[in-house]
Amino acid sequence: METKSEIFSKRLIIAVLWNIGLQTFLAVVLVFLIQVDFLHPVTWITSTLHEIFGWKMGINIMLLGLVSFFQAYVYGSYYMMPLPKYFTRFSMFLNMFSVQNVMFSILYALSGYFTMGLYSSLAKSNYNLLKKKCSFYDGQCLVEQSLFLQFGGMWMGLYYFLNIHIFGTTMLMFPHIYQDKFQQIKLAINNILSMGFRNSIMPVVYYCVFYYLWGNKPRSVVSEVYSIYLEDPPLDNVVNMLSSGIWIGLWFYTSLFFVSVYTMRTIFNIILTEPMKFPIESSGSLVLHNALALRSQFNGYLGAQDLRIMSMTDTGRRQQIFTLSQPGGHPRNWNNLLEQCISIINDFSKELDTINGDGKSNETENGALRNGKPSTSNGFTYSGNLRNMAQSPKLQGLKDHNKSKAEDTFGNVVKEEFNVFLQKLCQKPGISYLFGELTDTKLKFVLMQAQPVMWTCEGLAGIAAASLNEDKYGVVQNDLPIVISTLINLKQNLDKITKPGLVPRKHILNDVIAIKMKTALISSVKRSIYKIAITFSKYIHEIPLDPDIQVALQPFLMCKEA
Amino acid sequence: MSAFHGFPDLPGADEIPFCKLNEVYCCGNARYGNITTFTNSTKSHPVINVTRDIHHHRTSDENVSMYIDVEDNLLKKITSVWYKQGFLEALAVAADPTINRDSQILALASSYVLKVANVFTAFRYFLQPHLKDIGPKIVANYSRTRNWGNGPIKCMAWHPHTTKMAVATIDDNVRIYCSEVSFVSTLKCKAQGHVSSLSWRPFSASELAVGCEQGVIVWMVDPNSMFTKPSSSNAVLLKRPDHSPVTDVSWSPNGDLLISCSGADTSMLVWDVSMETAVPLRRVAGGGIVFARWSFDADKVFAASSSIIFRVWDTKRWTPERWCARGNRVVAACWGPGDILLFAAKGEPMVYALTNTGLMSGSQTSKALPVLDVTKVELSSGDTVGGPILDMCWDPTGRYLAILFEESHLVTVFCTTRLMLQLKITPCCFICGIDVEVPSTMAFQRNFTEGACLTVAWSSGRVQHFPIIYTDTY
Repeated sequence: METKSEIFSKRLIIAVLWNIGLQTFLAVVLVFLIQVDFLHPVTWITSTLHEIFGWKMGINIMLLGLVSFFQAYVYGSYYMMPLPKYFTRFSMFLNMFSVQNVMFSILYALSGYFTMGLYSSLAKSNYNLLKKKCSFYDGQCLVEQSLFLQFGGMWMGLYYFLNIHIFGTTMLMFPHIYQDKFQQIKLAINNILSMGFRNSIMPVVYYCVFYYLWGNKPRSVVSEVYSIYLEDPPLDNVVNMLSSGIWIGLWFYTSLFFVSVYTMRTIFNIILTEPMKFPIESSGSLVLHNALALRSQFNGYLGAQDLRIMSMTDTGRRQQIFTLSQPGGHPRNWNNLLEQCISIINDFSKELDTINGDGKSNETENGALRNGKPSTSNGFTYSGNLRNMAQSPKLQGLKDHNKSKAEDTFGNVVKEEFNVFLQKLCQKPGISYLFGELTDTKLKFVLMQAQPVMWTCEGLAGIAAASLNEDKYGVVQNDLPIVISTLINLKQNLDKITKPGLVPRKHILNDVIAIKMKTALISSVKRSIYKIAITFSKYIHEIPLDPDIQVALQPFLMCKEA
Repeated sequence: MSAFHGFPDLPGADEIPFCKLNEVYCCGNARYGNITTFTNSTKSHPVINVTRDIHHHRTSDENVSMYIDVEDNLLKKITSVWYKQGFLEALAVAADPTINRDSQILALASSYVLKVANVFTAFRYFLQPHLKDIGPKIVANYSRTRNWGNGPIKCMAWHPHTTKMAVATIDDNVRIYCSEVSFVSTLKCKAQGHVSSLSWRPFSASELAVGCEQGVIVWMVDPNSMFTKPSSSNAVLLKRPDHSPVTDVSWSPNGDLLISCSGADTSMLVWDVSMETAVPLRRVAGGGIVFARWSFDADKVFAASSSIIFRVWDTKRWTPERWCARGNRVVAACWGPGDILLFAAKGEPMVYALTNTGLMSGSQTSKALPVLDVTKVELSSGDTVGGPILDMCWDPTGRYLAILFEESHLVTVFCTTRLMLQLKITPCCFICGIDVEVPSTMAFQRNFTEGACLTVAWSSGRVQHFPIIYTDTY
């Protein structure tokens, strides 16, 4: 059986190989363009070939390989982890300085440094070495331009890291249709080139400003360490900087660096999001319901995506779901799958419910009360013949519970007082800015994980709809009430966060992606219910449903639900 | 033998056909007749007649002349033209000696610049001939609606699950007619101009995609709302640079993806509407994609381009199969049950069928076979029928095929039956309008259980529901 990360690491390795290939291609194209000589095409080609097969290129490719392996590691560690939870500005701030982030920023700075050096050496610029022979004195002199470029490389690495990983959200966005890898890269390449050249303008400007202000410090440090002189005019002067033209070089190399990192990112995205076919039953490999069980991890995503695709297109595997196991005659495949799907949807519903329940401290209690409906009584017995609400054992328990709270020790009092004090403190303007819970973060956090839920809903509805014609044994029809009521339940929870006029302030989303996710989720859940309702509209009265579910389903049957 | 041999005779001078009940062709007086005398199946259908409520205040190109021309000074004129119509138009104004009488140097200079620019545009059109027309011209050129620019009805679409219909009228409003409610919702927003196509989202009661000049507008029309004019906050405009004007939109039968095509764009966009992201699908050669059609099970997408090339995309891997029509671009196409595709090329009186024969016979040499020859003939009543095909519709059960011809005022309905992979086409009936009416566009209702119901929009703005009812016992 494949372990949970095996698929992921396999894909990462493929991505790295692809990446090295593409980066090499990029380098070759660069060399080819730099050697351009229209008058002597033969020498142009021969010198290009000579360059390409030289030792320098080999070293560069190795370097590139190293950089992309490191990138793969960073991406891997970001995508494998569930999204970090932070609900206050302070925790968000603290999270920026985690060990991992500090390490990554150093690594990124190094990768920027190396990549920049690589491209400048490929471009045969004169700024590869820090030292040169002085023209006026005897001894070594500093080439400040190369120092400028090398620091620039680190700056760009850091800039990219901050921009993408710290201030942006690293979410794996699965495309809604999956084309060939090659086609996707072809489509993306245009975008990558223009983005690279456009996005590199601002960091170059920032860097020039930075160098103007503090450029003399690294220069003096470097010249002291290597004990070299400075003979050219210093670059932390506007006129010198502009006239030296080094900023054009920096912009060019930065663009190349950005093009290279964007290419990496695109390739990782393309290869990681490729749909995967999980078998329904197999002894050797990861089966679909086990993949689904991995939830918010990468395999859970792949599993949910596969469930959806399978429910729409793959008749063969659907047949497998509808078969009964031998011996025994149990619909084991379907039961396993259903259990996972239902628990995914229910857990999500519950999370929404806790948000809707105002997130109070006694929410667990509320939940317990809500779950303890008399209809689903577990060990609920009335002693007398008459139903006595006051004597209900549940209530007794509740009373006890409240009483036990009242029986407090000194420690509890202190704790409570302290909590009250904390809450009061948190409402002070400056402190609430840092430590107060941000309004929409919880909902946003939940919504960001909605993608597999959407796929699961659609997949489940697709299988249910297909079962009308394909399910010979009535395996699925048996469980239709559960499927319908789970979906309706999720829909009702979603309605609560969107009901006009009733939306509390913390449900107002500011994040564009979160808003889109919300609409996507609502649309997908409604479509799933519609799919089942329309497919089974003739037989809907034969399905045993709870009365309130039936009521909720009615608008779907009449096509009146917006 | 002509394909039109064996059709029932056309009704008399004052009569129009109303329906067909179990092989009986029912006609009645055009003014006093009523379909309810024959059948109650369309009793609750919305009665649509758009001429009465069309606004007369549309600002199209024709009535610009009714405004009085104000004499501006030259600079102001040029800047305003530049602002509204672009640099080249401004140059043309500056070079025009009838407008630019003051500055001869400017006129001379701009005329030379214009000449250079024209060389470049000529070269560009040589490379990309599909860009020659602009905006509404492209839509009018590729539209399957007769007289798209001036007819009262531009296009219409039935809802897949309920008796609800969207009709786009000449003033670019989209009206929604519903069988249950008496009022009509009118969808209108600023971006909605030159509406070319409509498509209801399957498995949803409220979402309607409108293809228009700027892009695709997806409306959310709450069926429970009593507003007759929903605000534009219910609409989402999806647009991409270079993807304009949109000539066709179509939802996938699963309701998850939306494909939009533009006659001026070589890629067709597959949208994830709620995330507002699009994936372009493009291959070398073929010119702009004019329209796309999903097969019933969403396995394949037919995409017609503005040249003779058309493609059938496989939606599992999104790879195309390339086909060439013989003489001209594909003008109309429709999928039937069992992945059979009928299509017709422009200017040609022939319907071809494309079946997936590869799997059955073991060979991959599937071919487009001509299945119906509709060469123009004159009927005994003196009317002509046949000729180049304008539009085709196949009813969802695959039993009736309706064809509009470019040079005939009759809607022709054929019966289609599939026996042993052979498509057999037999005559059914003609539908004609009152007096000089010609059919503009048509659509089959998609949830009609008693048979098939063809809805025809006539040039007068009248919309007729023509049910063809059959009972299996008959």
